Order: sequence, then C-alpha cells, then structure tokens
Amino acid sequence: MIRHLNKLRWLVLSIVFAMLIVLPFIHLYQTYIAAHAYDLLAPAEKQIYDVMETLTGPFVSDPETDLDAIKGNTWSGTFFGYRISDPLAVVSQSAAGMSLYWPFILTGLIPLILTMLFGRFYCGWICPATFIYELNTNLAVLLHKLGLHTGNRKLDYRFKYLVLGVGLVLSAVMGAVLTAVVYPPAIIGREIYYGVALSGYSHVVLGGFGAGAVFFISTLLFDLFVSRRGFCRYLCPGGALYSLLGHFRIFRIQRVVENCNDCAKCNAVCEFGLDPLRDGFGQECNNCTACIAICPTDALKFSVTIKDQPFQGVGHLGKAYKRHQGQDESK
Amino acid sequence: MKRRAFLADLIYGATIALALPVSVTEARVNNTGVRYLRPPGSLPEEQFKSQCIRCGQCGEVCPNRCITYFGVTHGAEVMDTPFIVPREQACILCMKCGEVCPSGAIQPIKKTFEDIVGKVRMGKARVDENLCLSFQGKTCGVCYRACKLQDVAIRIGMLEQPHVLDGCVGCGLCERSCIQIPQAIRIIPDYG
Repeated sequence: MIRHLNKLRWLVLSIVFAMLIVLPFIHLYQTYIAAHAYDLLAPAEKQIYDVMETLTGPFVSDPETDLDAIKGNTWSGTFFGYRISDPLAVVSQSAAGMSLYWPFILTGLIPLILTMLFGRFYCGWICPATFIYELNTNLAVLLHKLGLHTGNRKLDYRFKYLVLGVGLVLSAVMGAVLTAVVYPPAIIGREIYYGVALSGYSHVVLGGFGAGAVFFISTLLFDLFVSRRGFCRYLCPGGALYSLLGHFRIFRIQRVVENCNDCAKCNAVCEFGLDPLRDGFGQECNNCTACIAICPTDALKFSVTIKDQPFQGVGHLGKAYKRHQGQDESK
Repeated sequence: MKRRAFLADLIYGATIALALPVSVTEARVNNTGVRYLRPPGSLPEEQFKSQCIRCGQCGEVCPNRCITYFGVTHGAEVMDTPFIVPREQACILCMKCGEVCPSGAIQPIKKTFEDIVGKVRMGKARVDENLCLSFQGKTCGVCYRACKLQDVAIRIGMLEQPHVLDGCVGCGLCERSCIQIPQAIRIIPDYG
C-alpha cells in the first residue's frame, strides 16, 4: 500500500501542473464570453473557446462567474472561496512591507501547519517546478547514457539559507517582494499564464514569456550540468524556509533495520542525495517516497516521531550483518 | 582666507551630500518609462510595491484583459506587478481584481456607484484641447459616450466638447475610445 505513494505523488504533481496550464485557458475562455463576440474570434481562439466549453460545461451553469472559483497558482491561489498562499510569500511580504497584514498571513496558515507536520512535503508533492525538475533528472540520465557529461557536484546545502536570508533582506531594503522573482514555482505559475494569456501584448518579451522563463531554463541547465536537483537542494529560498519549518516535523520516513538488506537502492534513487541507507534523512527530506517505492524488502516506512534515528548499523538481511553474526557464533 | 574658502567648501559639500539622499528618496515614483495605471483599489505606489506578491490573480480574473505585467526591463522592484495601459485596454471597473487579491495590494471595493466614485483613485483624465476634435469644430463626443460615469466624471458642453469633472476615477475608457491619433484625452496616473 505505502509503496504506491510515489505513484500517487506523481498523480498529484501532474494534476497541479495540468491545472496551471488549464487555468490560463479558462481565463481566456471567460474573457471571450465576457466580450460576447464568438463570431469575431480568430480560428485559434474559437478552438480554445470550444475546447474549454466542453471541458467545463458539465461543472458550471454560468461560466463567466462560476469559473472564478479556482484562480491563481501555487504561489497564491483561490480555491472555492478559500485563499491559500505559500508561506514564503507571507514571510517575504512581511519583510518587504516591514508590517504584518493579517488577512494575508492567515492564508498561509494551512500550508504552514502542514509543513510543520510533514516537512518539505510541498517540494515533493505539489511544487510545479519539481514536476519539471524530476523529468529533467530523467533527461540527465538519458544524456549520461548517450555519453554526455552531466554534473553531480556536491555543494553545501546550507547555501540556500543564505539565499533565503539575502532575499528577505533585499526585499526589505528595496520594498518589494523580490523572492518571487527567483522562486521557481511562482515563476512557473506566472510564466505559463503570461505565455498563454498575454502573448498578444508588447510589454512582455519572448512572445508572452518573460524573464522568469529564462531564469527557470538556466536552473534546469544548472541541474543538468552542475548538480542533480541542485537548485532545490542548494539554492531554493522556499526549500530553505520549508526545511527550517520542517525541522521538528512529526511524520518522517525511517529505516527498519531488521528488514534492510543494504542494497543501497534508496541512496541511488534519492533525488536530494540523502542517505537513507545510513538513516541520514535530516530536514532536507521532502517525503517524496521514491525510496519506499524502490526498497525491495520494505525496510523504509513512515513513522510518527520528532527526531531522526541515529545510524542503526548495517541491515539485518544484508551479507555484512550475517558475516558478523557468524563470527559471533563461532567464538 | 584659504582656510575660510576650505571651510566654505566643506560646508557646501556636506550640504550637497546630505541633500542628495533626500532628493533620491523624493525621486519619481514611476521609473518604468511607461505611463501606467494600477488596478482599481490599489494602495499608494510605494506601499503597493511592497504588498504585491506577484501572484498574477488580478490579471487572471480581469474579464477585459486590461491588466498586464511588468517585465524585467522595467526594473526588479516592479517586475511582475500588474498595470494597465489605458490606451491599449482600459479598466471596465468590474472590481473583480480587488476581490481576488490576497495580499491587500489591491483593496476590495464594492461594485456600487458610491464606492467606485468615492474610493477608486487610478488617475484623472485630462483633455488636450489642441488635439480634441470637438474643440476643433468637428463634433465628436466619443469619450463622453465611452465613460461609465457620465455627468459625474465627464460632461459635454457646446459642440460635444468634453470637460473632466471631479468624479473621474481614471479608468481610461475615454482614452481607449478616443478616435484621434494620438489620443486627445489622457489619464494622468494617481500614484497616491
């Protein structure tokens, strides 16, 4: 059962990403309705209109207003009257304005509580950038097989805390929410919207896409050629915030030493380069459950505890442990 | 004598050095090179920049597609914040953006006549009488007919000559509709 969590995670990631693509089209559809000018639409626009009409038709009676129920992106969104915002947005706004605006802070409450319970779950389960970054990792594997050099450099994971701190200080100095400009999930939400809905305007470069798209592609290249998942691990200000908030999380993946056979598949599969084999999870673990899915002996499971276990020794099903036992018996 | 000149220079220099930061802080609010409006209900410009989290929801609910976003060329502090260029697409005062804004940068304003006239401060229209057709003897009156707040925001006199009144909220529908090129009526933005 718990082994299938990784598939569920991919389903969630795909749904979130698909929503980010569909929502701008829904916005276009709504504007076409508001204009009352179906006959004047260009053929491509008519196509958008028709597709969105069939997609949303079963769910709404008055699309122009009913479709306002779901708006926004993972940075900040409206979901049937409830507003949910990224805790990083809340922290950055408070820093930029040097003040607390409670109606907005409360919108970050649910993600905040979930992060304190589950740690960096946002990074593994929701973040639309993760969706692309994990596909990017697969691309890196492919390129590696083709003989290209791909990077897997290890840097200091604490560097992202510096990025977070500098970002907040700069936001306060400039009086603007600057972390939004370098935070991939916020960028993706915006850029998809720009690309779909604003492509006809002259203010934005690259046919709708803005500078954020360029920044995001450079992070993809960084991940490919410098360090696998390097941006999430070493640079992401949001990841830094969630790591800090999730330091005392109560749901953790842990190794059951009796079931472990030291095969080290978990270490190979871990996107964040953690060390499940030696109980090294720490605050960086994003609960992606890839290690649970790949473990052949079900030695990894979720447990409710506030602290990671120290290294429990070699797995009891492994050769090293059996050799050790044999020596003990022969004595 | 030399010392006195030196002291005078010193005082002079110090005054300039002290005055410089003051003049920098009092620099223009708009450094983008675009004459833009903020969406209706927006906070004063400096406050807006610090409150807006750049989520893009205001643009996503705008039924008129008038809200667009700044790019990197306009500077990092306004990048991805919403704005309206009334000549390209003007605000129809539907008030949806204030309703959806989670950050408080665009304050919610009820869609009633009193609230819109009383609280919306996007700017104010100004007529260029040298360009306006009605002032050249060719009766036009398009701006008056485009206005949502007729006789509160704009009035027409002889030969359909437009006169902007105090009730103008600066939505820009008049500027959008002006048939003269370049437009004879423009919104002067109110950045608070």
